[in-house]
Amino acid sequence: MNMEIRNEAGSRGAAKAISITDVNLYYGEQHVLKDINLEIKPGEFFAFLGPSGCGKTTLLRLIAGFNHARQGKVVIGGEDILDMPPWKREIGMVFQSYALWPHMTVAHNVAFGLEERRLRKAEVERRVNAALDLVGLKHLAERRPAQLSGGQQQRVALARTIAIEPRVLLLDEPLSNLDAKMRVEVRRELRELQQRLQLTTIFVTHDQEEANTVCDRIAVFNEGRIQQVGTPMGLYEKPANLFVANFLGTANILDGKVTGDGNARRFEVAGAGSIPIPAGVDVPEGAKLVLRPQYARIGVNEPGSVSLPGRIAHREFLGATVRYGVQVGSATMLIDAPFHSGDSLLEPGRETMIGFKPKSALWLAN
Amino acid sequence: MLKTIAAAMLISAAAIVAAHAEGGGKVTIVTSFSKDVTDPFKASFEAANPGYTLDVQNKSTSSGVKYVDETKGNNQTDLFWASAPDAFDSLKSRKLLTRFTPSVTGLPDKVGSYPVNDPDGFYFGFAASGYGIMSNDRYLEANNIPKPSEWGDLTKPEYYDHVAIAAPSRSGTTHLTIETILQGEGWDKGWGTLKGIGGNLQQVTERSFGVPDAVNSGQTGIGIVIDFFAFSAQASGFPVSFAYPSVTTVVPANIGIVANAPNQKGAEAFVNYLLSEKGQTVLLEPTIRRLPINPALYEKAPEGFPNPFKDPRFQSMITFDADVSKKRTDVVDTLFDQLISFQLDKLKGATKAVHAAEQALAKSDNAEARGLLEEARSLIAAMPITAEQAASQEVRDAFTGGDQKTARQAELEQQWAAFATEKYAGAQSKAEAALALID
Amino acid sequence: MAFAAAIPINRISAKPGQIAAVALIALFLAIFLVIPAGTVIYTAFTEKGTGALTIVNFQDFFRTRLFQQSFFNSVYVSAMSVVWGTLIALPLAVLTTRFEFRGSLLIQTLGFIPLIMPPFVGAVAMQLLFGRNGTVNLLLNDWLGFRIPFMEGLNGVIFVQSLHYFPFILINLSTSLRNIDRSMEEAAQNLGSSGFRLFRRIVFPLAMPGYLAGASLVFVKVFDDLATPLLLNVKDMLAPQAYLRVTSVGLTDPMGYVISVILIVVSIFAMWLSAVAMRGKDYSTVQRGGGGLSKRPLRRGEAVLAYGVVGLILLLVLSPHIGLLLLSLATVWSFSPLPDGFTVAHYTRVFGESSLYIKNTLIYASLAGLIDVIVGGAIAYLVLRTKVIGRRWLDWAATAALAIPGVVLGIGYLRTFYGISLPDGTPLATLWVMVVMALAIRRLPYALRACYAALQQVSQSLEEAAENLGATKQRTIRRIVLPLMTGGLLAGFVTSFSTAAVELSATLMLIQSNSDAPIAYGLYVFMQSPAGRGPGAALGVIAVIMVAACTLLSHYVVERRQKTLGMNK
Repeated sequence: MNMEIRNEAGSRGAAKAISITDVNLYYGEQHVLKDINLEIKPGEFFAFLGPSGCGKTTLLRLIAGFNHARQGKVVIGGEDILDMPPWKREIGMVFQSYALWPHMTVAHNVAFGLEERRLRKAEVERRVNAALDLVGLKHLAERRPAQLSGGQQQRVALARTIAIEPRVLLLDEPLSNLDAKMRVEVRRELRELQQRLQLTTIFVTHDQEEANTVCDRIAVFNEGRIQQVGTPMGLYEKPANLFVANFLGTANILDGKVTGDGNARRFEVAGAGSIPIPAGVDVPEGAKLVLRPQYARIGVNEPGSVSLPGRIAHREFLGATVRYGVQVGSATMLIDAPFHSGDSLLEPGRETMIGFKPKSALWLAN
Repeated sequence: MLKTIAAAMLISAAAIVAAHAEGGGKVTIVTSFSKDVTDPFKASFEAANPGYTLDVQNKSTSSGVKYVDETKGNNQTDLFWASAPDAFDSLKSRKLLTRFTPSVTGLPDKVGSYPVNDPDGFYFGFAASGYGIMSNDRYLEANNIPKPSEWGDLTKPEYYDHVAIAAPSRSGTTHLTIETILQGEGWDKGWGTLKGIGGNLQQVTERSFGVPDAVNSGQTGIGIVIDFFAFSAQASGFPVSFAYPSVTTVVPANIGIVANAPNQKGAEAFVNYLLSEKGQTVLLEPTIRRLPINPALYEKAPEGFPNPFKDPRFQSMITFDADVSKKRTDVVDTLFDQLISFQLDKLKGATKAVHAAEQALAKSDNAEARGLLEEARSLIAAMPITAEQAASQEVRDAFTGGDQKTARQAELEQQWAAFATEKYAGAQSKAEAALALID
Repeated sequence: MAFAAAIPINRISAKPGQIAAVALIALFLAIFLVIPAGTVIYTAFTEKGTGALTIVNFQDFFRTRLFQQSFFNSVYVSAMSVVWGTLIALPLAVLTTRFEFRGSLLIQTLGFIPLIMPPFVGAVAMQLLFGRNGTVNLLLNDWLGFRIPFMEGLNGVIFVQSLHYFPFILINLSTSLRNIDRSMEEAAQNLGSSGFRLFRRIVFPLAMPGYLAGASLVFVKVFDDLATPLLLNVKDMLAPQAYLRVTSVGLTDPMGYVISVILIVVSIFAMWLSAVAMRGKDYSTVQRGGGGLSKRPLRRGEAVLAYGVVGLILLLVLSPHIGLLLLSLATVWSFSPLPDGFTVAHYTRVFGESSLYIKNTLIYASLAGLIDVIVGGAIAYLVLRTKVIGRRWLDWAATAALAIPGVVLGIGYLRTFYGISLPDGTPLATLWVMVVMALAIRRLPYALRACYAALQQVSQSLEEAAENLGATKQRTIRRIVLPLMTGGLLAGFVTSFSTAAVELSATLMLIQSNSDAPIAYGLYVFMQSPAGRGPGAALGVIAVIMVAACTLLSHYVVERRQKTLGMNK
């Protein structure tokens, strides 16, 4: 596939920005989207990430026009679209179920949107071919959806959407119906395609790995609210709250309370002693200690580290690392130790110390 | 949940079966009469004969005959009770009736010119019925047409599309009316009258009751019906009138005991009751209004109730030859169906054209047009077979499925239908040509 | 007969239970359908006089102008009834399934009521409203000086039939529309499609299987219906011709039976055609994800229009019932827009007797419905889930019942079962159970369609899951398939029940005693005299209310059940 294709099928003109302001949505009494504010830059590959029921798909459908907000604004490329019906919005959406029409061939599925735009027959044909070419399915044009594999169906759905040259592209859990190997392959293709088309894209997923690997930025959703927006690394390194920390990667969370003040603040971990809180660290009200598994060491006390007593509860051998579960106070912390050939593993039940640098710990509230 | 329903149903079903077993003294009667007729009889018979219950099975005359015939191997029916004498004749000839001599005596042998009872004692007349013309007063007034009183009236242009009749193949009573006209006026003239009426028909109903029903509700203005339909409608308050034409006949409605009746005694009791003075009185009920066979009853009858034994108009009625009728029943009915019922649109088209030409001719005479019109009239009246052919063994066999390998009914029907189609089309074009000449 | 022979026991891989089921159903259909109908229809193939086998009668059929015309008319009327039925059903189905429309349940129930039209009274009521001198035409003539021939000729038949049978399309189409995956529609909107184009290109094609099922049922029912044309005095159609010939006194004409055979053949051909058209279009299994089309609120103007259209349609389709109600309360109603006066006397007259009729009707119709659901469910399971040889034959045989005129079946029952005596000497044919069997056979095709639809909606993976967890086939059916099919089975039961409750043609031949009579028979008896018109109508109203109440109740039960199963959102 080469660069010319972009002109044949794909985005029209310059990529568009999406601006969402003060959007609130209710299902009856239920408040499902709360004060959503979001700026997505032109050409960005953006993810909505969160557990199921968090509102991410609801917001996506709202952008596509299938949900209706009581208040707020959604602006695409400078145009407020919230009062437009779905069919006027020029927003491409790939459905989780793909929603390929079983009574039409692949080619007819792809041609549908173009025909709705009353394009000339030759033009429709040219763009159908281009779109199918783009996803590498030209040879299956006359098949029916039921005769395709899941991955092929997914590509047809994509081709169908891209063929209309949408202003932005929405992907609703596009990988969830594929097997693990296909998923990795397709997400890479998606990224490549998006880069080539320079199409502002929103990708809805509940899988942080998918979001991390393909997206420029991520909005983390929970309970109808955007918890944090940032790059994959930024979210991992600087989660705004316990939910984000926990949802993106593995995090140990230790309950406890803050004692002292000024530079002498300490964090008393419930039932396991206390550690100093570095100066200048902002500790919100009711904060808990958050520590990534790879930042702690077992039985090693490096300079500048603090330590807490614990007992090995269980272990998992993962190849490159060994993940230990260590009982610290009332919590079980997960700690990754690198594995080198010849190392002997620690047995469950053994009393030990865990050490970590206070600077690698975070204090976060809900 | 379905289980509970099923269980409940089975229990109630069992209860019904149990109730049946008790029965006893049940007299089963297959009849074409409506509930309005059977209910008063059932009530008064059971009151007069304690221990008996009358079980009424309502079927149309034709399906009743079929039913008795189909079930003869294990007969459960005691009595057959209906209007049309031909149905009884059909049952008798299939040996489905049994001979009986009622205990009631002193009843007349004839009503009008028709014998009251079967000469062989297989069935008995219990009421007389005459055929005539029923009309809806409101309808006639709204359409500004006079009340008809003779068959010939119904062939006049002003009655175009205002008349209804039951198909004689479906209604034994209408069959008798048709046969009466044919016997009274002769084969060719009779069919001429019938086709004249046919051209004015609005509908040919499939049930006898369809005609009075259409007249009662005002869907049609005039119907050719049996008298009691009109009388009972009047008694129910419908704005209808009835007239006996001079060519008509009064025939008895009958009852007969079915061969191998399971309750012979009960059957006999009912026949005797029906013919007794008490039973005859029930006929005068407003919902029934049939002419009793017992002349003495007419003293109890309401004002204006016709008396076939005294009124002079009934004395002049024609003599109905049941033998002639019997021989050609199927042929006459099929001819009516093929020439009139199933060709109604074409016949009406031709008739309308003739009426139009007649009207124009009355204003300005034109000999050539008159000639064409005459041709058109005779084309309409033309018959595919003569009276002799109709009664011939060969034609009859086609309908009775006799053991001779003669023409099949379907072949004859197709011939007659084709004949009618051609003649009516010819008549229409002649009449139209006549009209064109006058204009 | 033919299909019974088509079940060789040895060379099939099917389980013994399945073979037994096929054999049992085959036996049931043979005894209660094929043999009785066969004894009657046999006449069509015999030569007059000799009784030898022949097809000359069929040659006669095709040579006769009247029959050619009748054949054409029947096809024309059936096709046009489908067209008009579609025009009535489509707006109702679309509005109730795709919009937030108040009273959807009411419309779905009211839309069903036209099927429950008792014989005779319905046509009388229609005549009083739409006849040449009915209410509408009398008023039109007074005000505007013209009449509309609603009830005349073939157009009259089409008018009445489409009002009567459109619910078949409504029910099937609504179900299909409800089962369309929401994203199918949204994807089209997303690609720029909306309104009527969206409906025409995406929604309707996806609902096509349901529509075809309903439309073919309407076609066949109209093709085989004899009562409506006869009551409108239209005789040049096939079913009335068959009836007139079969029931005429003294005639041994084979043509009635020849026409019956032709009715059966055409009906099966029509069902086969729709099956072929639906082949590979069973989209329900292809679709997954969010259930049901999204319901859109109506805008103000749209709402006014929609309620107006629905109101008009309901007024039209319920007009026979409105007329019936008026008739049941009328003193005299003759050549006037409305009755001369009103009275409740007719109700008091039928009050005493009606309880017996109602009881009998409920017993017969519910037993018939139950048999239909059991047999229909079994056939559907055998056809859709097994490879037993002979299963298609069961399907075709059961469907053929649709085309067998009730009177042919009635006579067949008399011939077949009258000779068989019970221990106490009464013939088997006189037992009320025979009425139940006749009703069950006549209504089996309806229940069968419903069972198919219900089973198709149960994903096969649910059964596989049960078998995987150790349940046998039988236990899987009992614990998984049946509970999930309940809604559909109940729908089949309701259709069978409610139409059987007002069936007359087969009943008339078989009812042996007034105490065994169902309500339709009571009605028929009343409707034979001028004074009986009011009471007959009153009985008709009672029948309609009774069946409608049962229908509403079961709708309610289904609805609740679907909710607990979370099957509708």
